[in-house]
Amino acid sequence: MKRKACLIEAFETDKAVFEKEVLRKYKENNIMYKNTIWYKLLTSAEKTCLKEDKIRKIHYKFEDDKEMVEEYNVDTQVLLRRAWKAKGKLGSEGKWDVEIGDPIPDEVQNIEAVEIMESKDQPIVTRRNTRVNLEWRIRNLPYPIETYCIKANNEEKCVIISTTNKKYYKKLPIPELTRLGLNIEQANIQSSHKYNTLIVMYKKPQQLLDMEKEWYEELNKVKPVKDVPNDCKAQ
Amino acid sequence: MTSLAAAQVQEVRSITRIERIGAHSHIRGLGLDDALEPRAVSQGMVGQKMARKAAGVILQMIREGKIAGRAVLLAGQPGTGKTAIAMGLAQALGPDTPFTSMAGSEIYSLEMSKTEALTQAIRKSIGIRIKEESEIIEGEVVEVVVERAAGGGGARTGRLTLKTTDMETNYDMGTKMIDSLLKEKVQAGDVITIDKATGKINKLGRSFARARDYDATGQQARFVQCPEGELQKRKEVVHTVTLHEVDVINSRTHGFLALFSGDTGEIKSEIREQINSKVAEWREEGKAEMIPGVLFVDEAHMLDIECFSFLNRALESESAPVVIMATNRGITRIRGTNYKSPHGIPLDLLDRMIIVPTAPYSSQELKEILNIRCEEEDCQMSNDALTVLTRVATETSLRYAIQLITTASLVAKRRKATEVSMEDVKKVYSLFLDEHRSEQFLKEYQDEFMFNDGAGDGPQSMEVSQ
Repeated sequence: MKRKACLIEAFETDKAVFEKEVLRKYKENNIMYKNTIWYKLLTSAEKTCLKEDKIRKIHYKFEDDKEMVEEYNVDTQVLLRRAWKAKGKLGSEGKWDVEIGDPIPDEVQNIEAVEIMESKDQPIVTRRNTRVNLEWRIRNLPYPIETYCIKANNEEKCVIISTTNKKYYKKLPIPELTRLGLNIEQANIQSSHKYNTLIVMYKKPQQLLDMEKEWYEELNKVKPVKDVPNDCKAQ
Repeated sequence: MTSLAAAQVQEVRSITRIERIGAHSHIRGLGLDDALEPRAVSQGMVGQKMARKAAGVILQMIREGKIAGRAVLLAGQPGTGKTAIAMGLAQALGPDTPFTSMAGSEIYSLEMSKTEALTQAIRKSIGIRIKEESEIIEGEVVEVVVERAAGGGGARTGRLTLKTTDMETNYDMGTKMIDSLLKEKVQAGDVITIDKATGKINKLGRSFARARDYDATGQQARFVQCPEGELQKRKEVVHTVTLHEVDVINSRTHGFLALFSGDTGEIKSEIREQINSKVAEWREEGKAEMIPGVLFVDEAHMLDIECFSFLNRALESESAPVVIMATNRGITRIRGTNYKSPHGIPLDLLDRMIIVPTAPYSSQELKEILNIRCEEEDCQMSNDALTVLTRVATETSLRYAIQLITTASLVAKRRKATEVSMEDVKKVYSLFLDEHRSEQFLKEYQDEFMFNDGAGDGPQSMEVSQ
């Protein structure tokens, strides 16, 4: 009977190769992101995949009953949207909370239902990542670029935007970095102001790039569901 | 802080005065002093000292919250203040302790079984105090603008501008929010917090920056710093829900909407078990605190034998509330059987109860109660009218005498008098029959009424048995 030799047997013959291999493995394991709670959480989650045109949608169900949805562009491998849903503490059904990407459009907010909300003309933050940058777009901010002061604050684990005219102040958390336990570097922050929009960019650190690449490969192992449950065939 | 709280309490009082006047709306507590000794006339309570003292002991037991599943029976003739004592107990416990009040006959519904109705009532009487994160807007008011839509329509739009030392934002408001802002008299310069989930507004005080703007801010104005940083913050807020509410939220996918429509239906026992274990978990972790409350069953003799045996069992659970029952029956048939038992309650359940008797009022106490009711019903009554009314109360019943207060005051108003006189009371006494005179009347004219076979088994047979 022929069987594939297991790793140790194979290396017993050649010590040099074995040591090299062990070192390589050690280095691989030493990559920090693999040891983070976040990575372990992603690995242990129950994953379902759905392919729609050029978009790959992954649904994660975590052990603590939280749910997450990610949408990837198949061509660019860029994460287009990430949204979370957590059950209320008492068991009520939660709402989708968008972390990255445009807000879910069908959520029409009625002022009589919510009672108080920010006016339509007030600044609104959305997130949109590119291949190399983490990006925040803050619309409805008419003040010129000199007004803003954008500072990394590692104690509060966020980027703080303040204005010299005291009209706007915002703490932007960077969950991607927090999850990997990385610090926020002031040097990685860039900003521009155009069409009433302030764009804040943060260059993705190497570790994050590595992890995203690796995780995308990992996701390829999740087989897409063939029949979309919503597509009921007419009789 | 205290002065602010006092001002709020006063405002709440002035609003409750708009409410209608119920049979027990004059009761504001048990009328006990700090040593739980009953005061003669206090908080709307008169007489019944022993029963009130007993209720005070029970109050202490509930407040400590250690003892679960005790049952108390208030037994006494009609109109001796059983419900009043229960209401007083509820008031004394305060709004944080769940108090469920139901009539014994409420459990007979076609929509759910008797035991389900009882279980729901029991679970409504147990509260859980739990911490939840909630979004709060905290800032200094820059401007409040309320506009009526053109064309005189009812639609209003509101805009609120808030600021911190670092930022400023405009908010749109719905009608309810506008109303509560107006009610709280929020104006520019106030520092407020708004709970986004519940819409509750809390006035913290006035901003220091506005300290010199007005001389006429009032004495209780409190000055606070304008908040810093972002307007919206996440804060931990403690709120109280009942076990039943948690059940309902978890029993359906569309969750708590059912709470508002009232259509909760039957709840599966598996869900209840799940929730019990979850709550136990929270308590162990220190995330939640259980507040055992009170279930009050009025007219307890209307429960039947199945309910009694179910209660027997339910009281043994450690998450059971204190159950207070009231009945005005003597030795009578237990509903659903042919057996007779004291108060219409089986002996095994009676054995688990502590029984608090209420005795008929003395005429002095009756006068005091009538006096309180006159005040409650906003009615000026002369002294001799009150004496007559007290006599009516001793000879007929207290309830009938109370009925005569408003009717007499209406008669007095018709003759444009400010005070109700003896004549007014006499007039309504002749206009409206009490139960005894009505019975007399029936006996006299029985033959002329419909469906009367002369030898009828109504009042006559009762006479025989007496």
